[in-house]
Amino acid sequence: MLSQWLFYGFATLAVVGALGLILSRHPMNGAMCFVITLISQAGLYALLSASLLFALQLIVYAGAIMSLILFIIMFLNIQPADLPQETGRWGFLIGGSLAVVPIGLLLLKIVRSLPAGETTIIGNGFGHVKSVGLVLFRDWLLPFEIVSILLLVALVGAIVLAGKKETIQ
Amino acid sequence: MTSDLVFLLPLVTVTIGAILLMLLSAFEKIRIEVSSALAMGIFAVAFLIQLVPVGPDDVRPFVSLFNGILLVSDFTRIASLIIIACGFFTAMSSISYFRQNSFATLEFFSLMTFAVSGMILLTMAQELITVFIALETVSLSIYVLVGCNRRSVLSTEAILKYLILGAFAGAFFTMGAALVYAGVGSTGFAAITDAIAMGGLLQNPALAGGLLFILFALFFKVTVFPFHAWVVDVYDGAPIPVTGFMATALKTSIFAVLANVLLLADDIRGTWVDMLFYLTVFTLFAGNLIAIGQNSLKRMLAASGIVHTGYLLIALIAVSGDSFSGSVILYYLAAYAASTLGIFASLSYLSGNDEKRRDFDDFKGLAKVRPYSAAVIAIFLLSMAGIPPTAGFMGKLYIIVTAFQAGQTALAVLGIVSSILSMWYYLRLIIAMYFHESEDAFEVSSSRSAPYCAFILAACVLAMGLYPVAI
Repeated sequence: MLSQWLFYGFATLAVVGALGLILSRHPMNGAMCFVITLISQAGLYALLSASLLFALQLIVYAGAIMSLILFIIMFLNIQPADLPQETGRWGFLIGGSLAVVPIGLLLLKIVRSLPAGETTIIGNGFGHVKSVGLVLFRDWLLPFEIVSILLLVALVGAIVLAGKKETIQ
Repeated sequence: MTSDLVFLLPLVTVTIGAILLMLLSAFEKIRIEVSSALAMGIFAVAFLIQLVPVGPDDVRPFVSLFNGILLVSDFTRIASLIIIACGFFTAMSSISYFRQNSFATLEFFSLMTFAVSGMILLTMAQELITVFIALETVSLSIYVLVGCNRRSVLSTEAILKYLILGAFAGAFFTMGAALVYAGVGSTGFAAITDAIAMGGLLQNPALAGGLLFILFALFFKVTVFPFHAWVVDVYDGAPIPVTGFMATALKTSIFAVLANVLLLADDIRGTWVDMLFYLTVFTLFAGNLIAIGQNSLKRMLAASGIVHTGYLLIALIAVSGDSFSGSVILYYLAAYAASTLGIFASLSYLSGNDEKRRDFDDFKGLAKVRPYSAAVIAIFLLSMAGIPPTAGFMGKLYIIVTAFQAGQTALAVLGIVSSILSMWYYLRLIIAMYFHESEDAFEVSSSRSAPYCAFILAACVLAMGLYPVAI
C-alpha cells in the first residue's frame, strides 16, 4: 500500500517538474525543475528494486549532468533582458497540448490494458551491479559495444561544431 | 564461429576505417584529398567484400554471443551495397565541392564513414534497442555534417531544426520500444512476430501502440506526409554533398528498417493498410505541390525526395510478405540513389564559390557553355521523372506493376498521376538549361572528381535500366 502511494507521489512530482521545465521563463528555473523530475525518477527506480539504476540516476543525471547544465547557464550569465519576447506563447502551448490529446488518450488506453502489478522488493541481488553486469554482457553485448561508437561520434561531432574555427586548404 | 566474421566484415571494415580517419584528422599535415581518397578506398574495399557471395541466405552471425540480434540476408546485403556506394560517391564528389567552399575539415570524412557504419548496422539489426542506437549514431553524425559550415546562417538554422525535431522523433521511438517491451516482454523482432502470431496485433494494445510510435519515428526520418515539414529547410541549409548523402544513404537505411518492421507479420500491414494508404497519397501530392512552388534547385530536390518516399511506400504496401525479397524496393532505392547522387555531384561541381548558383534561373543556358554537364544532368532528371530508358523509369514501372498485382489499383493510378505532375519541375530545369541563352560563364571547381563521379553515375543510371528484376 505504501509503495502505491510512493509511486503516485514520485510520478506526480516527475510530471510537475517536467511542466515547470517547459513553463518557466528563465533557464535556471527550468533547470531546477528538471532536477525534481530526475530525482523523482530515481525514486521510481528504487521502487522497482533497481538499486544500481537508482544510484546512477542520482550520481550521473541529477548530479553530474545537471551540474554541467547549471554551470553552462551560469557561464552564459543570462539576464532577464536577454530572454526573447515570447508573444503568443500560451496560444502555442494550448494548441500544442490539444494536438497531443489523441496521443494521450491512446497512451491511457494502452496503460489500462497492462496487467496490474504490485511493487515488492525482489531479492537475489536483482538490480545490483553484478546482476546488471551479467545481463549486459550476456544478453546485450552488441548494443553495449555499439554504444561506444555512438559516444565516439558524439565526441568528434562536438569538436567539429564547437572547436576553433580554422580551415584546411 | 570464425566464419561468422565473414558476414560482418563490411561493417567491421567501415567501422575500423572510420576510427582510422578520426585518428588521422588529428594530424595537421594531412590534406583533405588524402582523407577523401582514404574514405573512398575504405568504401571500395567494403563494397568488394560485400559483393563476394558467401554462404546460405539468412544468417545470424555470432548467434550465441549476440543473441541473434543481427541478421544478414540478401536484402541487407544489397541495401548495404547501396549505402556503401552512396558513401563512396559522396566522398568522391565532395573534393570538387570543398575547392569552392572553404570550410572543409578532416572530420567530415570520418563522420560520414561513421554514419555509413551505423546505416549498415541499421539494416541488419533485429532488435529495437540496437536499432535505436544505430539510428542515433547515424543521426548524430548527420546532424554534425549538416551544420559543418559554421559561417552560414542557413546551415545553422538547418542543424537546429533537424536536431530538435530529430530528438523528438528519437523520443517517440524510445517510447514505442518501451511500450513494445511492456506488451511483449522483449524487444527482439522474433518475439514480436511470435506475439502477433499468438493473438493478433490488436489483442495486445501496448504492442500495437508501441509499433505505431516506432513507425511514426521512422516516417519522420524518411519524410512521410505529416512529418515532412523539416526536410526542405534542412536539405537547403546542408552542404551539397551532405544533402545528397542524406537523401540517398539515409533513406535507403531507414527504408530497410521500415521493411524489416512492417513485414514482421502480415497483421501489421493488414491493420494499418488504410492509414498507410492515405499517408502515401498525401505524401505523393504534398511533395509534388511543394516541389512545384520552389525556385531553388536544392529545395526542389528536397521536395521531390518526399514524392519518391511516396513511391517507396506504395511498394511497401504492395509487396507480398510471404516471399519478400525486397527486390522492387531495393531496385527503386538504387535507381533513385544513382540519379540523386549524380545531380548533387553535378551541383558540387557547378554551383560556384559558396554555392552562389542556387536557383533554376542561375542555370540558364548551361547547355551552351557546358554541354556535357548539361547532358548528364538531363539524364539524371529524366531518370527521376521516370522516362525510359533510364533506371528511374524501370523502378517506377516495377512499383506500379507490383501495386496492380497486389490489387492496389488506386495507388498505382495515383502513382502514375503524381509521376506526370513531377515532370513539371524536372523538365523546368531542362528547359532552363537548353532553351535559354547563357548569361553566365559557369566557372567551375578546379577539381574534376565530381564530374567523373557524375559520369560514372550516369552510366549506372542507363545500365541499370537494362537490368531486369524478378518481381
